[in-house]
Amino acid sequence: MNNKSKYIFVVIGIVIGAALMFAASALLNSGNTDYMHKKNDSGNKKPGIHSDENSVTLTNSEIEELGIQLETVGSVKLQMHTGLTGEIVPNPDKLAHLVPRFTGIVKSVHKAIGDRVEKDEVIAVIESNESLVTYDVKSSIKGVVLEMHMTPGELIGDEKHVVTVADLTTVWAELNVYQKDLNKIKVGQSALIYFDELDNAIKGSIFYLSPTLDKHTRTATARVRLNNFSGYWKPGMFIAAKVLTNFIDVEKAVKLNAIQNFENRKVVFVKDGKAFKPKQVTIGKTNTDYAEILSGLNIKQIYIAEGAFVIKSELLKESFGGGHAH
Amino acid sequence: MNRIIDFVLVNRLLIAVVALVVFAGGYFSYKVLPIDAFPDVSPSLVQVFTVTEGLAPEEVEKYVTFPIETAMNGLPDLENVRSVSNFGLSVVNIYFKDGTDIYFARQIVNERLQEAREQVPEGFGDPQMGPISTGMGLILFYYLDDTTGKYSLEELRTIQDWIIKFQLQTVPGVTEVLGIGGFEKQFHVVVNPKALLRYDIAINDLVEILKKNNLNVGASFIEKDAEEFLVRSVGLATKIEDLENVVIKSEAGTPVYLNQVAEIEIGGAIRRGLQTRNGIEEVISGQVIKLFGTNSSKVISAVEKKMEEINKALPEGVNIVPYYEQKSLVEAAVSTVTNALLQGIVMVVIVLILFMGSIRPSFVVAVSIPFSVLFAFIGMQYFNISINLMSFGGLAIAIGMMVDGSIVLVENIDRLKRESPGDESLAVVISKASKEVLRPILFSIIIIITVFIPLFTLQGVEGKTFSPLAYTIVLAMLGSLIYALILAPVFSTLLMKRKLKTVEGTGNKSQKENIIIKYLLIIYTLIINYFVKNRIAAIVLSLIILASGAIIYPQLGSEFTPQLKEGTLVVKVSMAPSISLNESKRTTLLIEKRVNTVDEVEETVTRIGRGEVGAHTDPINSAEITVLLKPESEWRSGYTQTDIEDAIREKLKSFPGILVNFTQPIQMAVDELLEGVKAELAVKLFGDDLDLLKMNAEKIAGTLRNVRGAADIQIDQISGKPQLKITVDRHAIARYGLNLLDVQNVIKTAIGGETAGQIFEGIRRFDIFVRLAPEYRDNESIIKELIINTPAGMKVPLSQVAEFEELEGPRQITREQNQRFITIQCNVVGRDIGSFVNESQQKIEDEVNLPIGYFTTWGGQYKLQQEANKRFAIVVPITLLLVFFLLFSSFNSIKNTMLIFINIPLALVGGIVALWVSGQNLSVPSSVGFIALFGIALQNGMVLITYLNQLLLEGKSINEASVEGAKLRLRPVLMTALTTMLGLLPLLLAAGIGSEVQRPLATVVVGGLFTSTILTLIVLPALYKWFVPKSIEEKIK
Repeated sequence: MNNKSKYIFVVIGIVIGAALMFAASALLNSGNTDYMHKKNDSGNKKPGIHSDENSVTLTNSEIEELGIQLETVGSVKLQMHTGLTGEIVPNPDKLAHLVPRFTGIVKSVHKAIGDRVEKDEVIAVIESNESLVTYDVKSSIKGVVLEMHMTPGELIGDEKHVVTVADLTTVWAELNVYQKDLNKIKVGQSALIYFDELDNAIKGSIFYLSPTLDKHTRTATARVRLNNFSGYWKPGMFIAAKVLTNFIDVEKAVKLNAIQNFENRKVVFVKDGKAFKPKQVTIGKTNTDYAEILSGLNIKQIYIAEGAFVIKSELLKESFGGGHAH
Repeated sequence: MNRIIDFVLVNRLLIAVVALVVFAGGYFSYKVLPIDAFPDVSPSLVQVFTVTEGLAPEEVEKYVTFPIETAMNGLPDLENVRSVSNFGLSVVNIYFKDGTDIYFARQIVNERLQEAREQVPEGFGDPQMGPISTGMGLILFYYLDDTTGKYSLEELRTIQDWIIKFQLQTVPGVTEVLGIGGFEKQFHVVVNPKALLRYDIAINDLVEILKKNNLNVGASFIEKDAEEFLVRSVGLATKIEDLENVVIKSEAGTPVYLNQVAEIEIGGAIRRGLQTRNGIEEVISGQVIKLFGTNSSKVISAVEKKMEEINKALPEGVNIVPYYEQKSLVEAAVSTVTNALLQGIVMVVIVLILFMGSIRPSFVVAVSIPFSVLFAFIGMQYFNISINLMSFGGLAIAIGMMVDGSIVLVENIDRLKRESPGDESLAVVISKASKEVLRPILFSIIIIITVFIPLFTLQGVEGKTFSPLAYTIVLAMLGSLIYALILAPVFSTLLMKRKLKTVEGTGNKSQKENIIIKYLLIIYTLIINYFVKNRIAAIVLSLIILASGAIIYPQLGSEFTPQLKEGTLVVKVSMAPSISLNESKRTTLLIEKRVNTVDEVEETVTRIGRGEVGAHTDPINSAEITVLLKPESEWRSGYTQTDIEDAIREKLKSFPGILVNFTQPIQMAVDELLEGVKAELAVKLFGDDLDLLKMNAEKIAGTLRNVRGAADIQIDQISGKPQLKITVDRHAIARYGLNLLDVQNVIKTAIGGETAGQIFEGIRRFDIFVRLAPEYRDNESIIKELIINTPAGMKVPLSQVAEFEELEGPRQITREQNQRFITIQCNVVGRDIGSFVNESQQKIEDEVNLPIGYFTTWGGQYKLQQEANKRFAIVVPITLLLVFFLLFSSFNSIKNTMLIFINIPLALVGGIVALWVSGQNLSVPSSVGFIALFGIALQNGMVLITYLNQLLLEGKSINEASVEGAKLRLRPVLMTALTTMLGLLPLLLAAGIGSEVQRPLATVVVGGLFTSTILTLIVLPALYKWFVPKSIEEKIK
């Protein structure tokens, strides 16, 4: 082999070496940038809407499309209330337990349970065992016969009441007040009493709150007097009550749904120019519809009353993208 | 070796029979081979699902996931156990080594599951294995179209669950039909808590009472005379009235009926998913899952037929509408390659006829194609490879190569026939011609097979994707080898006989030379003479080519496997994890409306969350919109699937609060089953406490951020689901004499509801579900008022014995290796990933003090890459060495071998330039192309050099031999190159489904062949002088 061919061998050796390196690297490199490629593929990582760090901009048509409703921060009369349960009882002032004056035999009975009686109307006639003279058992009040424990011929003692007459034109709603609600319930508060729908409630006011708690139920009793000319309320009825505990004028309030949990803070999304931004708020009193805003918002500020979740999601988007692990 | 030729020429009948057997066997195999769209890349996986109604992720993990997970430890061939504990659902994925028999895996999982079941507390769900299927198993989706509009969502779902599902599951090959959408019908006992108070009954008592009043019993039999009477007592409730009249209490002789404390009505079960359509409505839908290993097309056809039957049985106006099925995709994918295959055959035959100048030898060569293909089918059946895009693609790629062996042979026969003296019998000529080229054919085909070895070592998804292709190419090449060695000589004797006589008749043989070849030869002679005389020019030429490759190479982009276009888009939408199902639905309908405004979109059907478990486990903040496209002819001109994707992306860009990703049905299903992360680097932090995990993950991410080269750092979000946490105060319940369970049962039944038996309507069964009326349980303040009955008869509101707390809890808990973990993902830009990992590990050790028991593992794509690199670092040199030895044993000369190796770099340059010109990237398929190129380039060189050696031995001078040999070899070299190139042309130009994977491969081979052919024809003869083997040099002297 001459020198020239040796030289060529070296060149060829280098060329082949380079080619093999290349062949291997072409094969290997192909998988390398997989992630970057896929990344570009889903190139909408950054929100397409103009949203910087902490605000989201929407067009009017988008606001409509997304069902977002705007309201203005303003003063509201906040009605606070507490829900209680209880039952209808007859008014004890208008309840007469009639007891015969003398032991004797019942001669006749003129009224039955449920009958109406006038004041001083004769209900039954009894013949006294001692005098063997008959005497009338008369109603002491005008009302309805609730109980009747006499039949003609029966021997009746003088220690037990035989007739109960009640005037049900007014009844009491006796409400059970749990310990936790005691500080809120006061005499004089009005209460909506109902047994099925709140729409059928009638209004009364608490005129009594028991000074002690029942040993068994650990509840106090609050009483509301109810007019009952129609006989709508029947003693024994199970009822619910919405006691209007407080009536507060708040300077600033927002709809309850406007308040969102955002990065472990309570925020309301307000409109700032064209953008919506979260504003951290401190909340005072709330009822089922409104929340008082102690700080964080100004009067007349426009805020999202419904649909704030979408804006919140948009701002949290970066965080929930990752980790849909299987 | 030569004896083979002698043997086959003697036993021609036997050989013909062998050929027939292969043809028949191949056809039979083809008929029974399963057909899929793509190779199935799903891992060997058994999934265990446990539905645990109402439990939060923490409890699901504790009570359900953990026992199942630990039971699976130590199974044979186990690779990994991963689990996800979600709200109300535990999913344990048990990964086995690739290739593990799925039935074996299921069996051993099932055995362990028995143990696990005992560990899961009563009433916390029953672990079930997922369907016997893979990611490719979701073959057909349908929805119910109610044109009358009078059926409720419950009624339609009942039709789905009790008519359609049952019937479809009887179709052979269907393993499961999963329903989603609408409401599963239930009998709701909607309890009024005030009424409970009035009658002094606890809600949990109701559940017990209902269970006691809804039974059938058997009481064996009585004998009456000579007969037996079975005794049964029937008391099953069958309708609402039966439930209403259940007596729950007797108050002084007055019965209290259930309907006095509750309304009984038909309602929908609690659901964690639904299905919407076109931004208009909710629909009821079903997914048909095929059994592992069955033929997709056949199963789909059978399902469709069954659906027609079912449609007739459905109520008037209700129809099953399939909206996605894999069959058309399978057909499209297979027809793309089948077309390429057929067109390739046509091209090859045209080339043959043009160059051979006659039909008969061309025919002998062309038969090589069906023979090799059918031979490959037999092999596919043996290796359990389905017909799919990749395996068929392998055949399409190999078409040009299949004929190479027989071209060389037949060409040589043809040539010798012309040169031979007239008295030589055809058999002698053929025998001589065959023996001449036997060795180069044998070695060149073996070399091509050898270069595909590295493909078999690919692992994971790439391995499963490309091994069918490698298999079919290798099988087809084997077939072509058999054909060339055994059948081609025999066929030549049979078919070329008469031809010989006519040739003899005309006398002047050389004039029979083909016209094309003649003109080509004139030009070629000029060129080859120049280069043989000016060898330096040849070197310069090759150096120029090499240099251009070196310049272009760095400019090529690189990507992974190009995406297979399925023709159906899936838009995956993620919403905030705290979202409610109703808001999720509202949002999805709005998104569907926007997607529908894209012109090419025909319809959108969306699945939110999950339905019946078995295929999907998504939470309700995840929606998958299946976008059905109009037929391609109705698209805007020039529009591709990618353009439509962009159009949809544009529409959704301004939609707030959602993240959008694009995928495709099969791709999505498979991705869900695969484990691991897509980022280059994934740091997994293992530990017990979720808060500590989160905190330390943030620290690690913070440290990584300060390492040079870090990009796209992302921490798994493990929290984000709001909770209302009710902690029962033990002191408070002690005061009232309550047990914890008394309180918790009330919470569970009142808020979450409880099943109290079932109502049977025939064989259909529906749950009786006891729960408070919504207005008494749907907000925190009202839940506080829930009344607990104490043993002493007191009534206590819940808020008096429990603390309430709103907090953000985990969205899901992921576990691996029996431990909770959190992943920190990251990409590395502009620096070597190895050094990045080292530096980061050091920094984290210094800066982050992990609590005791917490540790990190480092993985991600880079790990796979490293492993692959290591494997290739061994396999590639071994392959090269093998090829080298093959060449060496063929030529017995290192010099010759080196000369042939020069072919490789020049061929590669052609591939690179072709990629660059066509604007494609380096990718796995293009690498496969380079591998194929490698083999083909060597083959051409071999054929030429063999002949040059021969001429030298016949006594010609080196220069003479170089020119003469090159001229004589022009025809076979051009033919093999052209057949291969033109055979690939259809793949290069195809636009159908699946073409995107084949195109880079075809591009590389065609481009590479171009340069390598130039080299073979010009540079090799020129350089030959320096590479004459010593043995021949000596002989000449």
